[in-house]
Amino acid sequence: MLRRNASQESGSEESNMASGSVIATTGLTKAYGSGSQITLALDKLDLRVNQGEIFGYLGPNGAGKTTTIRLLLDLIRPSSGSATIFDMDVRAQSVEIHSRIGFMPGELSLWEGRTGLQIINYIASVRGDAKGIAKNADEIAERLQLDTSKRVRDLSSGNKRKLGLVLALMHEPELLILDEPTGGLDPLVQQTFHEMMNEYREKGKTVFLSSHVLSEVQAICDRVGILRDGDLKAVESVERLTHVEFHHIEVDFRDAIPAGLQEQLANMPQVSQLSANGNRISMRLVGDFDPLLRAIGAGYVELLRVEEPTLEDIFLAFYSDKEKAS
Amino acid sequence: MTGIVVGNTIRNAWKQVLYWGLGLGVLGVYIVFIGSDSDIVKGYASLFESMPPAMLQAFGASSLEMFSSTEGWIVTIFVSEAAIFLSVFAVLAGMNITANEENSGIMDVALSLPISRTVYLAERWLGYAALGLGILVLTGAITLVSTAMFSPGADGGKVLLTILNLYPGTLLVMTVTCLLGAVLRRRAAAVGAAAVFVVASFIFNIIGAAASGVIADLMQALSYFSHAQGEGIVQGSYDMAGTVAVLVVVAVGFSLSVKQFESRDIGL
Repeated sequence: MLRRNASQESGSEESNMASGSVIATTGLTKAYGSGSQITLALDKLDLRVNQGEIFGYLGPNGAGKTTTIRLLLDLIRPSSGSATIFDMDVRAQSVEIHSRIGFMPGELSLWEGRTGLQIINYIASVRGDAKGIAKNADEIAERLQLDTSKRVRDLSSGNKRKLGLVLALMHEPELLILDEPTGGLDPLVQQTFHEMMNEYREKGKTVFLSSHVLSEVQAICDRVGILRDGDLKAVESVERLTHVEFHHIEVDFRDAIPAGLQEQLANMPQVSQLSANGNRISMRLVGDFDPLLRAIGAGYVELLRVEEPTLEDIFLAFYSDKEKAS
Repeated sequence: MTGIVVGNTIRNAWKQVLYWGLGLGVLGVYIVFIGSDSDIVKGYASLFESMPPAMLQAFGASSLEMFSSTEGWIVTIFVSEAAIFLSVFAVLAGMNITANEENSGIMDVALSLPISRTVYLAERWLGYAALGLGILVLTGAITLVSTAMFSPGADGGKVLLTILNLYPGTLLVMTVTCLLGAVLRRRAAAVGAAAVFVVASFIFNIIGAAASGVIADLMQALSYFSHAQGEGIVQGSYDMAGTVAVLVVVAVGFSLSVKQFESRDIGL
């Protein structure tokens, strides 16, 4: 049975619950529809996010990541269960909680006719301390190379995301909740974003970010929760998750597949799912590339394709390894 | 309530005051200008004379004498037309209070700020209420000046009061649309229902004014158009109770909007 709940994680998880987490959910459930048309978007989520960590919330589209975030922000109401942030109920004390968090939605919409600066000033005013926040916003915008004098309607999708990050970060919140934060950002800005998150963690602040980009999660997160079909399948440290990292490999030879290569690859412990079709050989490779490159060097390689595993692949591999181990 | 959202709402939409105020003001100038020519007014009056009295009553005038006076002409023609245009503004404003922001996703950002749903809705409502008042003040000012220019004998104060008295009805349509947006959640359904409310109210007013009897009286009483009371102001028989009733319905509608908005999921 693959199903496992985060609350069934390690003993350290239990101790975190006792010590009080920044985010804590208990049996948090969200269902849409009624009668026979009920769709379970989130199923009895038990999750703890600790202070000072960057927690990656991973899952394919429709897994329930955004639903969780919307529940935490009190934008939608749970069908059952509860959630707290800073030990305060997300519904009853939402205003107080919101004063201490920064949020960027996955699909960011802002007032199209207003400039970035006008929106920054408005939101800074709502948050109080408009001057101090606006000064921070200036620094963040400069770092992200964002021109805040442009109207939102004139910004590219990447620049809109930058503005969203400025709005989420400018008041130096204790907790950041970011839904797919780097979608549409160019690699350089993504790098800056990763640096900012690391600095954020060093200040003892907490980040909860949803993503379906494994590399991003690997780069900055301490722990990862894997969500599928509204069910939290596991909470793992990034080290443990990446231990099962692998790639799908396809090698096209100009001529026939070199004699004995298939047997040689089949005997390699890091190679699995090996198949051949004409001059092409396909496999799944775990770990370093070097042994594979040495093995295929016997033939003339016309094309070498390397595909990142999908989250689903990682998930399945992760659990098949765990089942084998047990 | 800090008024920051009110200010932001007005800053985002202040041009609407100019567009709507100038548009309605120009309509007012046109009607006042025509009304300054007694031959044209008499021509219209004789046209109505040849029709059943119900037709004139449907336009909001109870008698030809009233209709033929300069203030009566301005109030009868202008109020009936301006009330329709203002209803369109009010539906758009009502949708803008929450439904449009919710539909576009802006509400997700707005409600992630340290502000409660109730305060947010209230400040948005106040912002659009202020814009509506701005439109009426601008319209009234333009019409007042044009009355002084083209019909100096007319009582400009009464004309201005009649225009300002369109405000409760405007607030009512705005609030009903806001409530529909909070209840129905689908923007198209909310706009459609609000349009039905306006059209039904308009038809109720016409039928109620043209016919007689208990049902006709009830229909007219239910129509917010009938509470504009242009003729009542001109003739000095203004009935405050109708305006108070409209404002009570506005207060109830606003409370229901808040209750609904507080209790449901946002943005789905």
